[in-house]
Amino acid sequence: MRAARITRRQQDSLTSLHEAASNLRQKYAVPDVLRTHVRPVTTSSREAQWRNAAGRQLNLGAALLSLSVLADSGIEHYRGSFQNRAMYVPLGVSALALAASLFGVLDTRARSHVLRDGLYGVAAMTGVIGLGFHGYNILKRPGRFSWLNLFYAAPLGAPVALLLAGALGRGAEKVREDRSSRILGHPAGQTLGLLTSAGLAGTAAEAGLLHFRGAFQNPGMFLPVTLPPVAAGLLAASVINPGNALRRAAKACLNLTALLGFAGVAFHAYGVSRSMGGWRNWSQNLLGGPPLPAPPSFTGLALGGLAALSLVDKEQRSPST
Amino acid sequence: MREYREDQPVDFAIVGTGAGGGTLACKLAEYGFSVVAFDAGPYWRPLEDFASDEMHQSKLYWTDERIVDGENPLQLGSNNSGKSVGGSTVHFAMVSLRFRPEWFKSLSILGYGADWPIDWREMWDYYAEVEQTLKVSGPINYPWGPKRPRYPYRAHELNAAALVLAEGAEALGIGWTATPLATLSAPRGLAHPCVYRGMCVIGCSTNAKQSVLVTWLPRALEAGAEIRDLAMVGSIEHDSRGLVTGVHYLREGRWRFQKARNVVVAGYSIETPRLLLNSASGKFPQGLANSSGLVGKNLMVQANQAVWGISDREIRSYKGPPSLAITEHWNYSDEGKDFHGGYSYMSQGPLPMLWGATQSSKRGLWGQALLDEMEKYNHQVGLKIVGETLPQERNCVTLTDERDQYGLRIPRVTHSYSDNDKRLIAHSLRFMRQALQATGARDIWDETDDTCHLNGTARMGFDRKSSVVNADCRSWDIPNLWICDGSVFPTVGGVNPSLTIQAIACRTADRIRAMARRGELITT
Repeated sequence: MRAARITRRQQDSLTSLHEAASNLRQKYAVPDVLRTHVRPVTTSSREAQWRNAAGRQLNLGAALLSLSVLADSGIEHYRGSFQNRAMYVPLGVSALALAASLFGVLDTRARSHVLRDGLYGVAAMTGVIGLGFHGYNILKRPGRFSWLNLFYAAPLGAPVALLLAGALGRGAEKVREDRSSRILGHPAGQTLGLLTSAGLAGTAAEAGLLHFRGAFQNPGMFLPVTLPPVAAGLLAASVINPGNALRRAAKACLNLTALLGFAGVAFHAYGVSRSMGGWRNWSQNLLGGPPLPAPPSFTGLALGGLAALSLVDKEQRSPST
Repeated sequence: MREYREDQPVDFAIVGTGAGGGTLACKLAEYGFSVVAFDAGPYWRPLEDFASDEMHQSKLYWTDERIVDGENPLQLGSNNSGKSVGGSTVHFAMVSLRFRPEWFKSLSILGYGADWPIDWREMWDYYAEVEQTLKVSGPINYPWGPKRPRYPYRAHELNAAALVLAEGAEALGIGWTATPLATLSAPRGLAHPCVYRGMCVIGCSTNAKQSVLVTWLPRALEAGAEIRDLAMVGSIEHDSRGLVTGVHYLREGRWRFQKARNVVVAGYSIETPRLLLNSASGKFPQGLANSSGLVGKNLMVQANQAVWGISDREIRSYKGPPSLAITEHWNYSDEGKDFHGGYSYMSQGPLPMLWGATQSSKRGLWGQALLDEMEKYNHQVGLKIVGETLPQERNCVTLTDERDQYGLRIPRVTHSYSDNDKRLIAHSLRFMRQALQATGARDIWDETDDTCHLNGTARMGFDRKSSVVNADCRSWDIPNLWICDGSVFPTVGGVNPSLTIQAIACRTADRIRAMARRGELITT
């Protein structure tokens, strides 16, 4: 009975979400936006379709990154007793970035949106400022820039995830807007490809640092320091020097990396069970054990990388752009 | 667990299962020898048997009657003893430090104490073996001494008390580091990582502490050794040729005899000489292995003085292992000293009952004054040394005529500081006071008379006149009698001895295997 009620409620909320989305669509609809299901397929509508698909995939990547930041900073800053009021900021900003990303995922129009664009900008800036705060936290401790402080003080890599969420989101907006869009003077696909490649490498470095702190006591801890760097390398290579074989390999590795993000949550859940009291003592072990929300950032970045790959592919096939 | 018959001689009967005996039992069993290791204490199961209660956990200490005297009588029974399978490593503070290489040649290089018959480079490899076995959590770069391999696990996060040590050291311009500790900073097998409960020195019920009880002994059992707990060895038997033949021990209310081809005494600095002296016979009227007259002599404590103060910040020093940060500056620097030897000092985390006892016994606080002082518990912070004292023959373990519950003669432990020891202590108190002051602590006071680890009383050396055992821990007098624990130390250095005791046990096992292969062991 109870389960059925919940399902009905979920259905209701899904329906109302769809309604809201279609209302928004109608509200912001512009005559030249082409929809496959109402108009015959044309070249420009196809373009709009894949632009939109790429954009939404990037939004999805940004959504996962924001979710990861929201949950991770929530747990870790709670653990730090919110000693500094600024520690609330990433929770609010990542929640907004998550909302913006979900809006983007649901939004099938091939256009950017000023709200999303603005929120992504704020997220990216918050990431940069957070990096400053975390750097200050490390440098104010005895030992300064030491292994011990890199292990246990505020983590340098964490705020960068918010910066990456913002950057991916901004990229999504750019891509939706114009297929010939350029970011930082290069075709969007290339820039986003290199950005996600760097993001993957950086996230792997952070996982490496923290798994080194855990002495790689479980062989599974080597996965995030081997697979994502390979994916990052292949992605960068296929952006710089496109070719079918490279692209296929990069795609395969990125898909695996996306899966790894979810597998990582399972591994970390097992890790929590390895602390004294296991899951029965979840209220302490969630804080002390390996962070559950960290691994999905790999999935977010991998999705961004896949979107960038398809953009690069299109850019290659239409050299006019 | 494999069990051996009493009337069939085993290859090795080992008396004591602590850092020396437990380690040796494991290694010898793994090398294929038949081993029975005896301990007067029980075989605890930490997860079920340990309570988070200081009073209850005093069951881990050796609190049998002793008589103490000398100018500075020792306080025995807690931080310098253990009556458990696993010995005092069951409640040790897990500090796992290597000796400064020069200390193995203190006399010839540094001009004090005595030389060890072992080269530091050989010890360096055995240290690495022990660190691997205990999965010691240590810093990536150790600031002092020659290069050492990476510690198997990473250092633990520092608590506030450790950060105070770090701040003080940086203010005075000396090095500091996270302390290498034998407690897990990540899971290992079935063992959980440390959860920073802070009950380390009363027995770890997390099983994160890598004591002899949970590291060497399970391996020993796996390899076919027998651990006979609640078995008090009272004397060692020998035959007319002067070779030992086994041990007399009290278990389940009656005296028994275990035959053995070799006997290893590993009872630490009081019980080891006591057993050797109690085994005196017509053939060996001075006690076994005692032709030099040095059994029981050269007892060395380590000074354990402290400086305490109150911080405005909340410290809660009892969180986590008690000694998370250390400086070995005064172990490795010989400039600016008016004494021989060295000391390290570490951050501290005394549990409440110990802290109350310290306030009442060391400062004479009682009643309202004691209550008021205990109110400051969460803000108190301190630094404490492990300081080297020099070997003196007048510091010794002898036998009295009184007898204990086993009917065995009670040991008398005589201890006095030398002038050098006193200068070292004064230097450390001055220096630590400056360090604590530099962190803004107030109401600073000196705890002037605490001691910790015991060593010596059966020193190893180069010849039978000036030592009890040789470099292989084999007694000069009786070739199938061995001594393998902290009592073989010719000098103590300024670091906790457990890692060195285990390293020596590993070396002894390797030497025994080599001698056995060459047919140099006694076969009876």
